[in-house]
Amino acid sequence: MARWRSASYKARERINQRYAPHNDLLHHRTIYCNDLEKNKQFSFKGNSISTTKYNVLTFLPKGLFEQFRRVANLYFLMISILSATPVSPVNPITNAVPLVLVISVSLIKEAYEDWKRFFNDKTINSTMVDVLRDGHWRKLPWRRLVVGDIVKVHKDSFFPADLLFLASTNQDGVCYVETSNLDGETNLKIRKALERTWDYVDEERAKEFQGEIQCEQPNNSLYTFTGNLIIGKQTLPVTPNQLLLRGCSLRNTEFIVGVAVFTGHETKVMMNAMNVPSKRSTLERRLDMLILILFSILFIMCFIDSICSGIFINRKYWYLGLTSDVEDQFNPGNRFLVACLTFLTFVTLFSPIIPISLYVSIEMIKVFQVTQFINKDVKMYHKETNTPALARTSNLNEELGQVEYIFSDKTGTLTRNLMEFFKCSIGGVIYGKGVTEIEKAAARRNGTGIEEMESPAESHEKYFNFDDDRLMRGAWRNEPNPELCKEFFRCLAVCHTVLPEGDELPEKIVYQAASPDEAALVTAAKMFGFFFFRRTPTSIRVRESHVEKIGRMQDVEYEILNVLEFNSTRKRQSVICRYPNGRLVLYCKGADSVIYERLMERHNPFKDTNRDHLEYFGAAGLRTLCLAYRDLDINAYEMWNEKFVQAKSALRDREKKLDEVAELIEKDLILIGSTAIEDKLQEGVPVCIETLAKGGIKIWVLTGDKLETAINIAYACSLMNNGMKQFIINSDTKEIRDVEDRGDALETAQVIERYVAERLNESLRQAVESEQTQTGLELALVIDGRCLMYALDPELRGTLLKLSVMCKAVVCCRVSPLQKAQVTSMIKDGAKKITLSIGDGANDVSMIQAAHIGVGISGLEGMQAVMASDFAIAQFRFLTDLLLVHGRLSYLRISKVVAYFFYKNLMFTLTQFWFNLYTGFSGQRFYDDWFQSLYNVVFTALPVIIVGIFDKDVSITNSRKYPQLYKAGIENIFFRWRILIIWAISAVYQSVILFFFPIKAIEEGKNSSGRMLGLWDAGTMAFTCVVVTVNLRLFLACNFITRWHLISIFGSILAWFIFAFFYSGFRNPLDKQGNIYQVIFVIMGTWYFWYAIVLVPVASLALDFLHEGMRRWFAPYDYHIIQEEEKIKGVERDELLLVESPRQAPEQSLELTGLHGEMSKHTGYSFDSPCFDSFFASQEGVSMSQRSYDIARRASMRVSRRQSSDLGSDSPPPGHNSLI
Amino acid sequence: MPSQGASTSGVNNGTSTRKDSKRPKSSAFTQQELPACKPLLTPKWVITIFMLIGVVFIPIGVAALFASRNVVEIIDEYQTVCVPGRYTTNGEREQFIQDVNQDKHCNRTLTVSKLMKGPVYVYYQLDNFYQNHRRYVKSRSDKQLLDGNATDTSACKPEQYLSGDLAIVPCGLIAWSLFNDTYNISADGQQVTINKKGISWKSDREHKFGNVRPQYFPNNLPRDLNGSLIGGASLDPNTTVSKPFIVILLNEDEDLIVWMRTAALPTFRKLYGKIEQDLAAGSTLSITINNVYNTYSFGGKKKLVLSTTSWLGGKNDFLGVAYITVGSLCVFLALLFFLVHWRYPRRLGDTKYLSWNQHASAN
Repeated sequence: MARWRSASYKARERINQRYAPHNDLLHHRTIYCNDLEKNKQFSFKGNSISTTKYNVLTFLPKGLFEQFRRVANLYFLMISILSATPVSPVNPITNAVPLVLVISVSLIKEAYEDWKRFFNDKTINSTMVDVLRDGHWRKLPWRRLVVGDIVKVHKDSFFPADLLFLASTNQDGVCYVETSNLDGETNLKIRKALERTWDYVDEERAKEFQGEIQCEQPNNSLYTFTGNLIIGKQTLPVTPNQLLLRGCSLRNTEFIVGVAVFTGHETKVMMNAMNVPSKRSTLERRLDMLILILFSILFIMCFIDSICSGIFINRKYWYLGLTSDVEDQFNPGNRFLVACLTFLTFVTLFSPIIPISLYVSIEMIKVFQVTQFINKDVKMYHKETNTPALARTSNLNEELGQVEYIFSDKTGTLTRNLMEFFKCSIGGVIYGKGVTEIEKAAARRNGTGIEEMESPAESHEKYFNFDDDRLMRGAWRNEPNPELCKEFFRCLAVCHTVLPEGDELPEKIVYQAASPDEAALVTAAKMFGFFFFRRTPTSIRVRESHVEKIGRMQDVEYEILNVLEFNSTRKRQSVICRYPNGRLVLYCKGADSVIYERLMERHNPFKDTNRDHLEYFGAAGLRTLCLAYRDLDINAYEMWNEKFVQAKSALRDREKKLDEVAELIEKDLILIGSTAIEDKLQEGVPVCIETLAKGGIKIWVLTGDKLETAINIAYACSLMNNGMKQFIINSDTKEIRDVEDRGDALETAQVIERYVAERLNESLRQAVESEQTQTGLELALVIDGRCLMYALDPELRGTLLKLSVMCKAVVCCRVSPLQKAQVTSMIKDGAKKITLSIGDGANDVSMIQAAHIGVGISGLEGMQAVMASDFAIAQFRFLTDLLLVHGRLSYLRISKVVAYFFYKNLMFTLTQFWFNLYTGFSGQRFYDDWFQSLYNVVFTALPVIIVGIFDKDVSITNSRKYPQLYKAGIENIFFRWRILIIWAISAVYQSVILFFFPIKAIEEGKNSSGRMLGLWDAGTMAFTCVVVTVNLRLFLACNFITRWHLISIFGSILAWFIFAFFYSGFRNPLDKQGNIYQVIFVIMGTWYFWYAIVLVPVASLALDFLHEGMRRWFAPYDYHIIQEEEKIKGVERDELLLVESPRQAPEQSLELTGLHGEMSKHTGYSFDSPCFDSFFASQEGVSMSQRSYDIARRASMRVSRRQSSDLGSDSPPPGHNSLI
Repeated sequence: MPSQGASTSGVNNGTSTRKDSKRPKSSAFTQQELPACKPLLTPKWVITIFMLIGVVFIPIGVAALFASRNVVEIIDEYQTVCVPGRYTTNGEREQFIQDVNQDKHCNRTLTVSKLMKGPVYVYYQLDNFYQNHRRYVKSRSDKQLLDGNATDTSACKPEQYLSGDLAIVPCGLIAWSLFNDTYNISADGQQVTINKKGISWKSDREHKFGNVRPQYFPNNLPRDLNGSLIGGASLDPNTTVSKPFIVILLNEDEDLIVWMRTAALPTFRKLYGKIEQDLAAGSTLSITINNVYNTYSFGGKKKLVLSTTSWLGGKNDFLGVAYITVGSLCVFLALLFFLVHWRYPRRLGDTKYLSWNQHASAN
């Protein structure tokens, strides 16, 4: 424990700083309870809350400010202003219209979201609560509550504000509170009112309550509160134990009465509301680079043109009127100024090269993906908890398609935190018919194929997932070794530290165990007919059935003489008990390694069989314990006991001495058998991990658990296997322990540091070696939190990084929340890889926030992780869908959309650039203002959004069937420079065609009536070709054509024509110069137009067409092949679409022999409690008792709590409550 | 009533249970299973489409080329020959053309090589004349052209006012720089009428130019009594108009209307008039050019063009050539693609080509 504390010291220090309360009692607040008038002088804040960003007045200025913080928008604002000057070749509207459209869309979105928040707030603010007003309980909405009000809160409702707890309906002034909204813990906490106020429960009494509260000013520290309650002349100190926080809810208590202390935004939970740091996707950041490149192109084009314009301008062109009073921009007398001003002209003219609508389009696409696809995916809906997937941000969709590292929490994420008694081996016979997930996965790998057998849908006991007729319902009596069975069950029923609670009936009893393993074992004993139901400090009572004969029950009392506790060095636990008949037995259970060392040489006939079984259990991912017993001789025992008592009362090195004494008696054991507990994995975890691994994703497990547990789970979820070379860096070695025992902290640190450095370098050397010599050997790294602390030091960090990226699996155990975040950051910043963290608890928050993408497990536990996350899913296995389907597709789509935007804007602008080579570099626009301004936002806007929403390379089924497709995202195949260069080449080529072809077509052309076409005719014709080409180009870009594609693409082309007809059909105020008047009809009346409209798009797209065709045939992407396969074989209809989420994993019978091929040397062993019970407990510097096996201490703790509460001071730290 | 109550409560139950379940409603859309066509660019398609383009384009191109080749065109570049030989540099020629006292008429003789079926169109072609220059393009007032309003001529800079405060109608550089060479054609001694009606687009004539009487003319715009434009030669703004002149309303002045439809490129042709008769092959055209327009300062060429038209338009090989080129290129690519595909076939959808399978086999 002490060691652990030092390891997490830094972390705690950090956290303490962050959450340090502002205990500034100089400025305390005084509250007069139940006295509205008196409190008015302080003008406390009301209880209504508002989480909106804007209000009616601030919306426009604030919203606009937010919008112009985007560089593209600001750029366009400046361009629009520039357009209003005479330098501009275009009307200001050209740039203002897209800007206004884009900003309005964004503002509307903001307004909508804010309105939703407002509505939410309104609902909360108008929740009703009983408030004491004028001597009666009045139902008032929350917002009307003020500081000093006395309120009554009923069972299962939320506290409307931070309340000082006065009284409850419970006898001893106690109430139960659920804090899951605050810290994610679902276990109930106890709050206790001051005894002095206990009886202010009913209306009559409550209205008489007069008191003055002096307390700290509002602050964000959830676990501190200092203040005094002054009643009459009595001053009573109040502590957090009397504070009921807003956000918590009342449980198991009919109602409570309290005084509002902090309200509204001053409540602790609101003060804690942290802004989730907004994350941007990597692709979006790369997009900024792209924009920068476009800026450079813009600059180069403008530069060339402006230099040339300075050279061109000459008085000899008399028709330009350059003789007298000519404006600066065309004054041949000052060519430098001409160039400068023309530069601005070109910036304005070429401004469409910056895709203004890109951001808003991407945003729309992403919001669509999130709201319609991710949140509505039935495959990610978890029926058991009724939880659909939830994307809490739409910024990171495409990031999901590029994840290379997943950092996963263990408990609650990979596992259900549910231990189930699964199999056992008694006297060399294996019992239990279940098949674990890992076995299923293995069978699937080998192609053995387990016939899916439905298990009878019986609701089995929690902690117990065992079925074998040979043992159940007393049938064990007929087994070859019934005596041993009896010992086995008794050992389970007696050798433990579990506390029974509730009615002493098998159905009703609740076992409070320090570790879920123990609960599982005791429950198993119960199911086998050895029902442990009562514990006194000296005895255990067991109701035994079927022992004498089938159906007979009897209560047996075992006297517990000694408990030899479990700890991580001993790895075993023993109980010495006396049977009613005087038999003296030592029951022992523990890790196979320690038990086998202590077995009697003889009389253990099935030692080897059992070892085989242990290995089999280990390979199946089960947690094993060996059970053994030893009959004691009374005299020998008495002698030993003396030593034990001595050791126990030793003042120095007590633990060490106790261990030594225990060694004396824990020997010559007789093996009974072994248990196998399944650390129940979440459904589908091994398959999911395997799938993700195939997709090139590396999964790291970061857990607070012990090394063995962590390795075990890594095996269980097929992260690690025996074929891997493992590097284990563990601080729990003899050498380190020895140094520690000497107690010199500095020396210890040095030793560990040296050890870690040595191990790391050695491992790296071996890793490099094995990579060179043995191809295909996979590596795994296991490191514990303490070593990690040193390994993360700057000197070793590089080595660790190098080593860890070479490993296929990395397991970090015993890590603190902060270390989880550090490891994540190491990969994120050090290896520059895209990371995803997934977790379910408050201890995962920092890791979730540190990673590129944070995923929270929603549904069961509290909200903390979900609140910090970007995506919330109910099950780990949904990652498959989230990443392989949604992520991959989003990445594909967004990169396509961005590339297309890049192409279409570059191409459009280049046509103008070519044109200006022929206008004396004057900056004359080729297209009409309105054409140019609507190009991005109308004529080419929708189809690309449709593609961004719908495009899909291969079917959803195949996305999951071929996880390898995901590698394209990791390697960033669709958005690397090569792709963009191809698009750019296409843009240049097309722009040449699109400018020169139409203009050549009509250069000397005329219609059959001999009339000539002019500038605007050429421009309009070219523009028509551009619109057609750009829209048709999408057909080549997309893999998937729905009717929406057709509608939007042809709709956009049609929209252009309709617009052109209207726009040039009338003399309208939009077209001030009347340039375009009738133009479209004039050109459509010539053959040239029809010739060009066919020729130009075909000629433009031929190159892209050729490229696509060549690409597919000669250098196909993987998805190309799968598309073809789909085309040939068809896609099997996704059965999951119709069926509900897969049923509870079916139990199958599987012959043991069938799996012997997967036999491993690894025998899983585990027996511990999660060492990170609560993030917040540790944050306060209060550590959980790791020694909770000590029954006596727990009992005394209970007493002391009662006493301390009675004293009304020095309340126990809240963390301890969870033990109840 | 009770039955109604029962039914409503039943409905409520239904909705409430549905509300309880947060299972997203499954639709083909949200599950991304919309029916779609997934065209694959397999070689078959690539070859077919390229072939198809070739097959369609080549005939179209041939037709266009034929049309273009059927057009008979006579081009005569006259800016040098119409200035007496002693002026050798453009500077000297410019001085000549600006000298009011010189006679600038010039006679050219051309031979019609092929029968030109009427109507034969007469064009002038200018070179190096940036009608698409930004300063030039915007220097006009369409409003004024339509309604003659002389108050707002700000768009017309620098040709806004005559001698300080008299607003010019039509104002602006474009109108001011109107081309004013005139041509007189006789074929085999017979005077040929050049019809100047209908040379502009109807929409321009009727909707963009109003019944506006020019006033405070730009120097070159007034016409002499023969209808020829004065000015152009004497582009000195200080020169006052001394000769008697006539005024044509803007919407009747088709030369102006044609001129005002600015050209897209610095080399352009504009329609001068129509000859509504056939010009027989071998006949001699003698043309009197009043060579007054100053292109000498910027070295621009002036050409007189006589041309017939086809169904497609004038003589322009570009479209035909482009179509044929693109068409044949496509056929070529189709064949090439076919050959390569035939030489290096790849089985469709063969999973052994998947990158990970290839890596595996490589290992």
